[in-house]
Amino acid sequence: MLCERLIAALGSDAVKTEPEDLAVYSFDAYTDGGRPAAVVLPKSTQEVSAIVKIARDCGEPIIARGAGTGLCGGAVPMAGGVIVSLMRMNRILELDLRNRRVRVQPGLMNLELSRQVAPDGLFYAPDPSSQQISTIGGNIATNAGGPHCLSYGTTVNHVLGLEVVDDAGEVFATSIEDAGYDLTAALVGSEGTLGLVTSAWLQLLALPEAVRVWVAAFDGMDAAAEAVSAIIAAGIVPTALEMMDAVIVRAVEAAFHAGYPTDAAALLLVESAGFEEDVAASEAAIHAIVKQHGANYWKSARTLAERNALWAGRKGAAGATGRIAPNYYTQDVCVPRSKLPQALRAVEAAARTNQITVGNVFHAGDGNLHPLLMYDKSDARQVAAVVETGNVILQSAIDLGGTISGEHGIGWEKREAMTRVYSTADLATMGRVRDVFDPARMLNPEKIFPSGARCPEVAPP
Amino acid sequence: MKATTDSVAPKTAAEAGEILARCDRAGEKVSIAGGATLCGMGFPPERCDITLSTKRLSGVVANEQADLTVAVRAGTPIQTLTVLLSTQGQFIPFDAPRPQYATVGGTLAAGWLGPRRHLYGRLRDYLIGSTIVLADGTIARAGGMVVKNVSGYDMSRLYVGSFGTLGIIVQANFKTVPLPKRARLFLARLPERTRARACTQLESLPMRLAAAFWIDGFHKAIDGDDGPEGRVAVLLEGSATLLERATRELRSALGRAGVPETRVLDAGARESFQRVVDAYVARLGERSVTYRIASLPQTCEPNALRAGELARRFELRAETIVDVLNGDIIVRVSDLDARGLGAKIEAFDDALHEIEPRAQVIASDHPNRIYLRVWGESPPAIAQMQALKARFDPNRTLNPGRFVGGI
Repeated sequence: MLCERLIAALGSDAVKTEPEDLAVYSFDAYTDGGRPAAVVLPKSTQEVSAIVKIARDCGEPIIARGAGTGLCGGAVPMAGGVIVSLMRMNRILELDLRNRRVRVQPGLMNLELSRQVAPDGLFYAPDPSSQQISTIGGNIATNAGGPHCLSYGTTVNHVLGLEVVDDAGEVFATSIEDAGYDLTAALVGSEGTLGLVTSAWLQLLALPEAVRVWVAAFDGMDAAAEAVSAIIAAGIVPTALEMMDAVIVRAVEAAFHAGYPTDAAALLLVESAGFEEDVAASEAAIHAIVKQHGANYWKSARTLAERNALWAGRKGAAGATGRIAPNYYTQDVCVPRSKLPQALRAVEAAARTNQITVGNVFHAGDGNLHPLLMYDKSDARQVAAVVETGNVILQSAIDLGGTISGEHGIGWEKREAMTRVYSTADLATMGRVRDVFDPARMLNPEKIFPSGARCPEVAPP
Repeated sequence: MKATTDSVAPKTAAEAGEILARCDRAGEKVSIAGGATLCGMGFPPERCDITLSTKRLSGVVANEQADLTVAVRAGTPIQTLTVLLSTQGQFIPFDAPRPQYATVGGTLAAGWLGPRRHLYGRLRDYLIGSTIVLADGTIARAGGMVVKNVSGYDMSRLYVGSFGTLGIIVQANFKTVPLPKRARLFLARLPERTRARACTQLESLPMRLAAAFWIDGFHKAIDGDDGPEGRVAVLLEGSATLLERATRELRSALGRAGVPETRVLDAGARESFQRVVDAYVARLGERSVTYRIASLPQTCEPNALRAGELARRFELRAETIVDVLNGDIIVRVSDLDARGLGAKIEAFDDALHEIEPRAQVIASDHPNRIYLRVWGESPPAIAQMQALKARFDPNRTLNPGRFVGGI
């Protein structure tokens, strides 16, 4: 019945029901979920609206999905449900160059947007490492970050307004310029539990006139982490401040020949952008700080090609670990920036105890760690050890005053951990927002909120 | 409203929670008072039995200097925090009027949009955590003390601009940024014929200006020239070398637009800038109403002229501050006395909303303010907003009627 109605509304080309198709949409970059009842690929807001109405009629939950690059099971179906893949809604709808704004559909690939506006001297700032595949819609769902959000902020800072299909299939619009509550901010990062974004107005920034990238190498992680803390404490906020450990540096060099010193125990990748004068001043200040903290290597990339090579290594780091182990799990935690050295020591200790190879590649300037735990998923011992290591790292971040996700989201993976950082009252307050937008819990159910902490009452009529 | 209302000033979040829970059960309506600098925004509450002041909920909770984060209680005056941060080379771009009185909580609750947001981003984007007391007394935290955090809904940002209608913000955690080393303010007379060109020139400068205004009237607000012509004011912030280069570029850009000799202020630049911000909500007793019109950089100049002309058609005096970089237009209309204003303001308000549906009243002491469309047209998602209010404050205990759409 569900599938017949969806096919009648959207045509058979837009509806997938064969088991092999459903299997493709049952996982993300973190985990394998259940099989959905159907997968639908709408081309317009009206079609999204029609899908939601049909799914609701049939009692099926609705799960919005972009490129499926999520790292916490946010877009996987738990049991049945209709997957709404927004990949066919991938156009730029309006480009307002003079006011530096653009309206896009959710399936547009992140990097494609910056490519399209680059000839006009503009770019879209959020740049998650997945930006060559991940979509704007998915980025909005997780409030995605990336290396450059150190100075430009995460996705929420760049979203000006949204068009949303609600849980009843009705369309509503938000704008940060509207009077009233900032619904735009509430929707960004809500992981598909408050509505389905069908278009977004985004802010674009002017490309900086000068960009410089530097690499500094250290003979220990502690020294590098302390250098990061010192740079921030000195009141310097570069556009990006990334860190890699020896495991990652060697894997990256083997895979991409990015130009990193292969004997480095820890490496900082620093970018400063802006005006020539300021970038030059940053270079001197940062160089002095890293030297003070024992940097034994310093390289400045002046040409675009050199810069791109250094960045390609960073952005491809996770993929490069394929040379070390067949599988990896990325933990995502964020700690106060001065706690970076302790947080890294905790990661190391957890990995050692559980005999897991760990590679660290992360947004050091934000205190946002991404330990990559490497394993072979065919080995049950290793799987258990990875789970335990990830859990210990999560708890150590909490103990240092940090949080359980810096930028990947909660999804299914971390929903039970929400109770470790939030009280019942805190979660129930979030639940009130859910009550308004999705009282029946039909939009991406079993995500974000812990299973045990159900908000007892549903919105009063 | 009752002639007199009781006033309470809790010292802790728990105390505030107890007061609210009691009022909520008893059906008493609670107004929230910070520094009372922005109470001319929105409607006055339709009923107020108890005024809850945040003045004793004041002080720094955590100053993590090396992390560039700070947590303060909501009643802390903006200036207190700004001074503290500047001693450690940091700042948060509050850009709020009258910062010696304005509180952190009140400025957040009013969703204040400052002129430097074009360069530094919105105040809400500095808020990394919060504690709120809901109408039923629930104390809820959101976010934390880390600069990146995606753990559930972004409740803190939702409270920004909610005018105390969802709950009372009792603590705010911010990230800070390095304080620019230098500030320089440019002032020049801006003859009407040069305006459009000056706006275009400013907008197309390769440097990112911290703020740029053209100002008509508001003579007390800024030092210097108070002739009949308007003025242009531009704030630059950054390193000394950057300022030198920006100065050259700005001078030649204004020269190209035909703007006469500019005056440069280094000492007192930020203070002069603050006086412009103060002017946003400066009232002329009961004889003025100030609107904010959200426009776009591309259209703010003609739109401001159009609003001024409209006021003159109603025989009202119009003074304007146009924030060229953000596209904000501040228009203060006034008459010789309160009665004169009262006779014209409602018809003017109608006419203004014909051409600027989203114009909002941000400052007025005139009693007829309540008959104006102070929030402009209803936002498209008003039903969702009303439902949020109903879910957070079902008895309408907090600031009833203060917000848009009867919220």
